[in-house]
Amino acid sequence: MTTATRPASGEHTRQAAVRGPARGMNLWRLEWLRLTRTPRAIALLAIFLFIGLIEPVITRYQQDLIGRLSHGVRISVPPPTPADGLNSYVAEISVIGLVLVVAIAAAALCFDTRPGMATFLRTRVVSMRQLVLPRFAVSAAAAVAAYLLGTLGTWYETGVLIGSLPVAGLLGGMLCGAVYETFAVAVTALAAALARSIVGTIGVALAILIALPIAGTLHVIADWLPSALVNAPVSLVNGTAHLSHFGPALAVSIATSVALLAAATARLRARQI
Amino acid sequence: MTEPILTTSALTRDYGGTGLLGVDLVVPTGAIYGLVGLNGAGKTTLLALLTGLRRPDSGTISLRISRRRLAYCPDVSEFDPWLTAREVVDLALSLTDSRQPEERADHIDAALADAGLTGSVSRRVGGFSRGMTARLGLACALASDPDLLILDEPAAALDPVGRAELLTQVAAMRGHRTVLFSSHILGDVQRIADQVGILRAGRLLYQGSTQELIDTYLTPAWLVRIAGDASGFLAAATGADWVTAVRSAPGDGAVRIEATSMAAGERGIPALVAACGLRLAAMEPAGADLESAFLALTTGVAGAAA
Repeated sequence: MTTATRPASGEHTRQAAVRGPARGMNLWRLEWLRLTRTPRAIALLAIFLFIGLIEPVITRYQQDLIGRLSHGVRISVPPPTPADGLNSYVAEISVIGLVLVVAIAAAALCFDTRPGMATFLRTRVVSMRQLVLPRFAVSAAAAVAAYLLGTLGTWYETGVLIGSLPVAGLLGGMLCGAVYETFAVAVTALAAALARSIVGTIGVALAILIALPIAGTLHVIADWLPSALVNAPVSLVNGTAHLSHFGPALAVSIATSVALLAAATARLRARQI
Repeated sequence: MTEPILTTSALTRDYGGTGLLGVDLVVPTGAIYGLVGLNGAGKTTLLALLTGLRRPDSGTISLRISRRRLAYCPDVSEFDPWLTAREVVDLALSLTDSRQPEERADHIDAALADAGLTGSVSRRVGGFSRGMTARLGLACALASDPDLLILDEPAAALDPVGRAELLTQVAAMRGHRTVLFSSHILGDVQRIADQVGILRAGRLLYQGSTQELIDTYLTPAWLVRIAGDASGFLAAATGADWVTAVRSAPGDGAVRIEATSMAAGERGIPALVAACGLRLAAMEPAGADLESAFLALTTGVAGAAA
């Protein structure tokens, strides 16, 4: 600490010149920097894109790969369809991608993990929504962007190796997938309000997200659950379902996401440090 | 002092017999208020209640200013390690200040300069030492030019030079900003606080002027140093009717004299030295400090530290 007098205005002008154009901090920019100054954004985009590009290749050469590993036993698989390429991507993303999205969202939303950090933020914000909304929105946007990038990679690779995917079905599938990714981040927000640690938050969020497909085995509610959106892209490109079939799941997912965010905000507001 | 900037009434947060129990705090406007207490006395709980981080079970908190004019610096500041020092202060300021970024810039630079971080404004804070992080926490608190600054153990992470600078900086705020700080270092509190509150087991044992506290618990005792052989003085003092106890202080050759009253000692000791034909080298009150008063108040042993 010094008791130095504040710099004169000329000094400030020089400092401003060194600083460059003013680019003020706020809670939205904080979240953008959290993604871009750490490996989070690169990891998210790279892993989704890698899976998007590699899964159609595996699907295309599945027969050859099985043949090399079967030690002379002849195993015959039907020739892959374009929907199979997308199906492989969706299957991988619904596990690896989901864990990654939940982990990255949890790291942003668990601002109470470190008391000093929690104090810094909580003693300055006017409302808890001010803290939760940017963390949710930027994490969800990153998850959706990564999902769409991976899907575009699959679209391209499938078109090159197997055959073209129907555009309308694929776009409908991308919409369903994007809504599901957003829902997963909203679930993570609630989990962060229930558990203080990042690991605990990831555990709670994944438990909820894994429980949904299990609940979906009850046919009465299956079409209404957000988990119905996971495989929607495949159903839409192979023509077994129309986008309107997923209307209930889309509506429930969006409404539930809003409700989850409201519940998370209320619970975080009630939490004491 | 005008109307208090902060008062609490029967403020209670009960953790099953510990915590904070019926505290009536009064922080005068413009004062430097030191909050002292043993570990677990309730200092951090009190500050957490005042800053809204926790809610009281009962009681009220009255703040004469807007909450946005209050800044709190915790004992351990933590920031996202990938932000620069300037970005951290800018973020802190953006949350309490509606001005545009370019209008905030000068305040940010000034706050960082006041915190001694001029050379580190563009460094990422993940590489900061504990002391630098503590300085950054203070810069964040000061950037908004708060009317009430609450500091929890502000000097805990600082080296001796940093601590001295912090105390000077806080002392300079007297009159134009109210500072409420907790500390274990009673010497620091005595040096800069004009008001002091002593907490023990969740209760406010004393609140008021630091000097009055010291005076109240001041025991009429002195450490007397005689130039030359003190044995004659010791014998004479033992027989004096205003002396209640005499003993050689261990180690340094001083004599500890306890008198029936402050006045009796202050008049009697120099007279007795002169009567013995000796020279008085030094005479200083024993236990005339906040630590002695604190110990007397919290342990019930007067002059415990002397």
